[in-house]
Amino acid sequence: MAILELGEVRRSYDSEQALRGVSVSVEPGEVLGLVGRSGAGKTTLLRIAAGLLKADGGRVTVFGLDPWQHSVEVKRRLGYVAESQVVPPRLSTSALIDLHRDLYPSWDRELERTLLGRLAIAPSKPIASLSKGEARKVLLLCAIAHRPELLILDEPAGGLDPAARREFLELSIELLANDGSTILFSSHHMTDVERIASRLVLIERGEKVIDAELATFQQEHCVAVLPAPAPPAAERLRSVGGFVRSRARGSSLHAVFRREPAELKSELHDRLQLSDVAISRLSLEEMFVAFVGAES
Amino acid sequence: MRFQVNPGDELPIYRQIMRQVIDAVAGAQLKPGDKLPSHRELSQELVIAPLTVKKAYDELEREGHIQTLRGQGTFVAEQSRALTASARLDRLRPLAQRLLHEAALLNVELERVQRLIVDESGRLDRTRGANAADKRSK
Repeated sequence: MAILELGEVRRSYDSEQALRGVSVSVEPGEVLGLVGRSGAGKTTLLRIAAGLLKADGGRVTVFGLDPWQHSVEVKRRLGYVAESQVVPPRLSTSALIDLHRDLYPSWDRELERTLLGRLAIAPSKPIASLSKGEARKVLLLCAIAHRPELLILDEPAGGLDPAARREFLELSIELLANDGSTILFSSHHMTDVERIASRLVLIERGEKVIDAELATFQQEHCVAVLPAPAPPAAERLRSVGGFVRSRARGSSLHAVFRREPAELKSELHDRLQLSDVAISRLSLEEMFVAFVGAES
Repeated sequence: MRFQVNPGDELPIYRQIMRQVIDAVAGAQLKPGDKLPSHRELSQELVIAPLTVKKAYDELEREGHIQTLRGQGTFVAEQSRALTASARLDRLRPLAQRLLHEAALLNVELERVQRLIVDESGRLDRTRGANAADKRSK
């Protein structure tokens, strides 16, 4: 059974539609990386999944339960770290941990001690005196010490410097390796997504554009580069099977296809007589830009 | 052997791991029977998801390069378990095509390409010999 199931979920803020019928399911042990431009609806989706925000329409089940009818049970079984979590600044690290410990019957003191030891943070320090990276790790500790069945992280590495980001990733990997945790996280760093996620979901303007296994997704696509194409050539590219999007870069045209490269090459050569086209694979970041960047 | 991955590459991470194992076997840094790191060890070392390591190992096993023995770990397979002769040639064909293509672009004649392959093969044999001697002395 899926840990989390969102079916055709809709949500608006005033007249603005943040989610326009998004369906996502997360299976046990899966690590799902949610990507999309700022304002695409990622945070809304995560807050709905965590039972913190009510959907206007559609189905939401977490652990097979309705997160509004079984609010306490669902919240006890999941862990959530918001993108910009507000913590009373004068609260000490240990006081914050105490607060969380009281909320969760399944709190694991042993794990708490292990994690605190790893973070190397004096528990008496006020949260406000911690670095951004340290504060994020304390919040992660608070979200995982009760061994949640589903961990939801909104931009977990947002605003961290590269070293702090790496340390945070290392901690997440360790969790995955030890517990096989199920994680749903959003990120703007495609390399982080590549490191941790097994599946990728891309949303754009409140709609799901991609939902694919990360490893195969990248291999299924390639880019055809036409140096200085004549307008008709660019137009004809659109009629080729598997065409996703094209963008002008300098004087050349980059067109992304969901096709096997060799097959695409022979079609462009033989059928469209585009002899100077070069075909190559794309990095995940380039794919992201290809799918959500401005089209031209 | 030391693994290294580069997220942001055009090759997915699991493919990068596969290629490194295959290259290490070809270059004799890894020998049949050598033990590979566990999913967990490699995932922590490279800071990548354990599932990605599993995917790489599963594919390598499917292609006959490695084998997993229950409770003992993952090992480089004996040659006999690897590909058939014609499948091996099929694997090389695109590389041969690419080499010939580059050679044509650079105006290098076939005879010289052939000589280059023989020279490189001799060089590789010497490295392999050195690697094997190195392993024996350890």
